[in-house]
Amino acid sequence: MPPAHHDDPPHFRSHYLPRTRAGRVSTVLFLLLFALTQPPLVFLLANRIRPVILGMPFLYVYLLAIYVALIGVLLYAYRRKV
Amino acid sequence: MEPWVVATGLIFVYLLVTLVLGMVANRRLSVDLEDFLLYGRRAGFVVLYLTVVATYHSAFAFLGSGGFFFTHGIGFWDAGAWTVLVGAITYVLGSRIWALGKRFGYVTPADMLADFYESEAVRVATAVISVVFTILYIQVQAKGLGYILSVASDGRISFELGTFILLAVAAIYLMVGGLRAVYWTDVVQGVWMYVAVWVGALVIAWRVFGGPLHLWRRVIAERPDLLTAPGPEGFFSPGMWFGMMVVLSFGIVFQPHIFIRYYTAVSGRTIKALGATTPIFLMSLYIPAALVGLGGALVMPDIAIPDRIFPELLFRYAPPWLTGIILAGATAAAMSTLDSILHANMTVLTRDVYQRYVVRHGSPAHYIMVGRGIVLGLLAVGYVLSITTFNFLVTLVALSGAGALQLMPAILGVCFPTRFLFTRSGVLGGMAAGLVALYVTVVVVPHPLGLHGGVWAVAANFLVTIAVSAVTASPSPATVHRIHGAIERYVYGDGSVSS
Repeated sequence: MPPAHHDDPPHFRSHYLPRTRAGRVSTVLFLLLFALTQPPLVFLLANRIRPVILGMPFLYVYLLAIYVALIGVLLYAYRRKV
Repeated sequence: MEPWVVATGLIFVYLLVTLVLGMVANRRLSVDLEDFLLYGRRAGFVVLYLTVVATYHSAFAFLGSGGFFFTHGIGFWDAGAWTVLVGAITYVLGSRIWALGKRFGYVTPADMLADFYESEAVRVATAVISVVFTILYIQVQAKGLGYILSVASDGRISFELGTFILLAVAAIYLMVGGLRAVYWTDVVQGVWMYVAVWVGALVIAWRVFGGPLHLWRRVIAERPDLLTAPGPEGFFSPGMWFGMMVVLSFGIVFQPHIFIRYYTAVSGRTIKALGATTPIFLMSLYIPAALVGLGGALVMPDIAIPDRIFPELLFRYAPPWLTGIILAGATAAAMSTLDSILHANMTVLTRDVYQRYVVRHGSPAHYIMVGRGIVLGLLAVGYVLSITTFNFLVTLVALSGAGALQLMPAILGVCFPTRFLFTRSGVLGGMAAGLVALYVTVVVVPHPLGLHGGVWAVAANFLVTIAVSAVTASPSPATVHRIHGAIERYVYGDGSVSS
């Protein structure tokens, strides 16, 4: 047991877990989409040139699409006042 | 008129605009330390937006990002991930930092951490990390500025003189108008740099390749090695991809010139709007940078210094007047970061050192005067660092990107209430372990197992923080109740920041 300072400090429910539905939706969506931009998923799924999309290489367009979706999640959180 | 006259003349017009803005800001300045250091905590969305994005994007975004695409290829598009993450961090963490600053009158990062952990040692450690790991960016920006003016004038203005002129202009408008001058000039600089990068890249793409899509087609056909990770030199390995994302998001946000901006917002809602929308600017700035770097790799593959690809392409393919406007944009990118770093270091040194340990009860006018003196001192240090090469500086610059990241456990411990509390001994031990690990994994054995040294360092930091906190005394219940209670009320209560 850690030594107490004076009395035991007050405990608040963890702020690492969102408590509202909109908060949970925003957090889960953001983390899932963000995982798609990072190893290992981005190297497994998207590290290639073809198919070329709108004249641009696949990896570039794949990442751009996810970045836009991530910004969409942030805007959703803002509109829902998370 | 010769091209260098046009290019240099436009940069000086831009400098004049920033000086005039500094003078106008001075007329609005009251003899109030909070006004001088924190814009009176009244920054609205538009001003805050442009100052944050202009501060985040430095000379590196303008010159270095093109160089990265040129050398390492599309792996640098990972930059989009870390800029989006900066938005999320601002949204979640920035709004909490704002609330605590508003409620308890914090001015610097050290104010917040020292208050929660009830420790002057935490204050000193935070102030030292804040200053040491950002003061070196003065050197980086100043060197970029000297280079831009030297290139624009075709060598007629030396690198040393160019550096001095631009450092002096930034220091003058900062001393005259305080943070208000920095914010107002950042508004101009933010717009200018964004338009300049896009216009410059599109002009090059159209003039050289017939349009962006034709540029992409040629890269696909001629340099496919640039279009997948890890790139031609193997730089963007999975570990480096992930590590750069961590270091260049959290590591930059925790530097004082960004952190202090969260205190200055007029409301928490403003910070959340900022978090939701700044990634649009931050991420999309790298779209034209990709065109510049990848296009440059096709038409100027033998350039000696890749960071110079953008100005070199402009001088070869764009009209002089446009080159001048765009190089003024590059100047804006560097100056908007430089002035913010000067201001942040001035704030930390005035508040955390001078006001705390030298003159505790001076008048606001006294501290403003001292702050201006500190800016002059920083100007001198920045200039000397810029024109001199010290071996130890090369090492420190290599460490600096991940230095502020070592404040992460301590900041999370304040801003995120949870049952397990970090302690003053825990965060101090964590910072020490993190800094040692940073030195080892960046300098001694660079990036072990291909993972960025900053990630190893912050992992060591967290482990030590948690282990030591488990066996040492928590902050007092009154302090935990006061600070975590304020966060609880702000986030899940009535949203107020009053007592």
